Amino acid sequence: MKRIWWEQIKAVIRLELRKTFFAKRGLWIYGVAALPVLLFIAYAIATSNQQHRSASVAAQGNRSLTYQDLLAVKTGMTSEEVIAILGKPPLNFHWTENRRNGPDATVDVQREDYHYSDGQNDLFVGLADGKVASIHISNGFNPGQDSVMFAGVFQFFFLRLAVFFGCLGIFMNLFRGEILDRSLHFYFLAPIRREVLMVGKFLAGLLATCTIFVTSELLQTSAFLWHFSARQSDVYLYHNHGLEHAAIYVGVTVLACIGYGAFFMVAGMLFRNPIIPAAVILIWEGINPFLPTLLKQFSVIYYLKSLCPVDIPSAPGTPPVLALLISNSDPVAAPVAVLGILGVALIALYVSSIQVRRMEINYTTE
Amino acid sequence: MNDRIVFEDVSKFYGEILGVNRVNLSIPPGITSLVGPNGSGKTTLMNLMTGLVKPTRGRIQVLDCKTDDPENLFKMLGYSTQFDAFPKGLTGFQFLYSYLRLAGRDSRTAEQMAWRAIERVNLVEAAERNVAGYSKGMRQRIRLAQALSHDPKVLVLDEPLNGLDPLARAEMIALFRSAAAEGSYVIISSHILHEVDVISDQVILLSNGYVVAEGQIHNVRSEIQEHPTQILIRSSRPRELAAKMLQYEHTIEVSIHKDEHGLLLKTRDADRFYLALNDLAVSGIDIESIAPADDDVLSVYEYLIGTEEAVR
Repeated sequence: MKRIWWEQIKAVIRLELRKTFFAKRGLWIYGVAALPVLLFIAYAIATSNQQHRSASVAAQGNRSLTYQDLLAVKTGMTSEEVIAILGKPPLNFHWTENRRNGPDATVDVQREDYHYSDGQNDLFVGLADGKVASIHISNGFNPGQDSVMFAGVFQFFFLRLAVFFGCLGIFMNLFRGEILDRSLHFYFLAPIRREVLMVGKFLAGLLATCTIFVTSELLQTSAFLWHFSARQSDVYLYHNHGLEHAAIYVGVTVLACIGYGAFFMVAGMLFRNPIIPAAVILIWEGINPFLPTLLKQFSVIYYLKSLCPVDIPSAPGTPPVLALLISNSDPVAAPVAVLGILGVALIALYVSSIQVRRMEINYTTE
Repeated sequence: MNDRIVFEDVSKFYGEILGVNRVNLSIPPGITSLVGPNGSGKTTLMNLMTGLVKPTRGRIQVLDCKTDDPENLFKMLGYSTQFDAFPKGLTGFQFLYSYLRLAGRDSRTAEQMAWRAIERVNLVEAAERNVAGYSKGMRQRIRLAQALSHDPKVLVLDEPLNGLDPLARAEMIALFRSAAAEGSYVIISSHILHEVDVISDQVILLSNGYVVAEGQIHNVRSEIQEHPTQILIRSSRPRELAAKMLQYEHTIEVSIHKDEHGLLLKTRDADRFYLALNDLAVSGIDIESIAPADDDVLSVYEYLIGTEEAVR
């Protein structure tokens, strides 16, 4: 590459970054990027409150319990047996339930709820007429479950909506926004190859989206870890692949910006109305699980899903169509997935380079 | 080596709308004015010349460069457009500086060239202000500065005097003349005909997308046969001179000037008129001066395009 091209690319990036980061029409992108962070902050606050409550319940108990103690309670036990194992419940409620017993008869059932805690995990025991009828354990710290939750938010909200629409907002405006502002001629009057201009604009968009969404991703991870104690964080990050997953999520975010960015940049050159290509690409990405393998390869989400480190299991009873959406059928190996996204992006950029050479300044028709 | 701006059978259609049709031009150095009413194709011709639009048919070459090669074209060409929009958030200086950095200049050179261009258009005091707050005249000047900033060999200026006050107009005209004197190609579109008349070395008259005439004003005028040549003759004895002139078969009409010190004559053959005038001068009639009365852009414009569109 000629040295002057690189200088010109840097000049384009400087101009574009200023516009991209501070454009009024792009402020909503910060909102979209902040949403999952806010979600995890809310989750952290709720979990933190829960932990305080668990600690308080544990402190009120007349004996110190372990998680094994909580697991020892079984349905059918009497209240005396439960108290023998766990001690007097720190919190309990009792009431009389008037239960229907035949067409005209009712019977009174003495109900009790016991609430125990080992300081992190809560045990809720439901008793009917002095016998254990239901047991529910709420795990305070479950790195596996939390990983799945994080993966769900990442795949189904962050990638498919936040990054998707964020890239749409930024990359589509790289050329289309300039046409609407009637300022594209400023670039076209400079002694710069149109392809070099396109690369500069793409890199500027990439830098902006990566900055916004990688920051969002890191903040999500921080918010997610916020309610963990130092020991729990240590367990999650170093013994439960948390750090590795965080790094992969950052990489997937960058690849998503590259893939969607290239798609939306070319769409911004080809279409006047961004809603049409956005809808088409969104539908195409959405129906990806139902497509034949050959067609799947021409989408971004297919490769991104293959790179995501945590599989999201379908809950029992999930409808088959929904299960197919959730599952990652036909995943490809990580190197293939990375090359696939880069390949798809290169095809889109090649189309952009042809299109940018054909572009004319004719604002009156816009 | 090509030393002209050449249009070969160039047509441009915007869908079904005609921009320009079958244009053949060969533009030499100097100041060339594109003249024509609104919608005649002036801006289209300029946009074609600078590659902002592509010809539907034909070929355009600017000196040795094709218009689809912006990397080389804009090294030697500066274009001040009529588009009145700028990249957002930039000061006048930043606008020029960014443009020069885009052109691949290093920071120091870009800064020096930007300031020099700003000085040339007298915008130093406003250079650090946001372009969005500029008046129309200031925006016009900063666009001119952009076109001039890299010392191009070819300057394409779309209505460059619009919005400028009389002093600034005079300064800009001097600037264009100085560029033309140095061998540059200055292509100006304007509908202010008296200014075009003053500054142009040659004109291109456009109407409805067609080139109606091109060349030096005098040559264009002399080719218009259907309109008699008008000549203003200053003399102390205008009535006597008029009587003698009416004896010639090529004289169509003579009218005495209001101040009784001259006459306006219409002839269908200017060459024979000048021969006859020599005879009259020899015969002793005092003739102070002779000047063509319709050998200007305005007259040519009126003859070829029509009076209602002409803007004085």
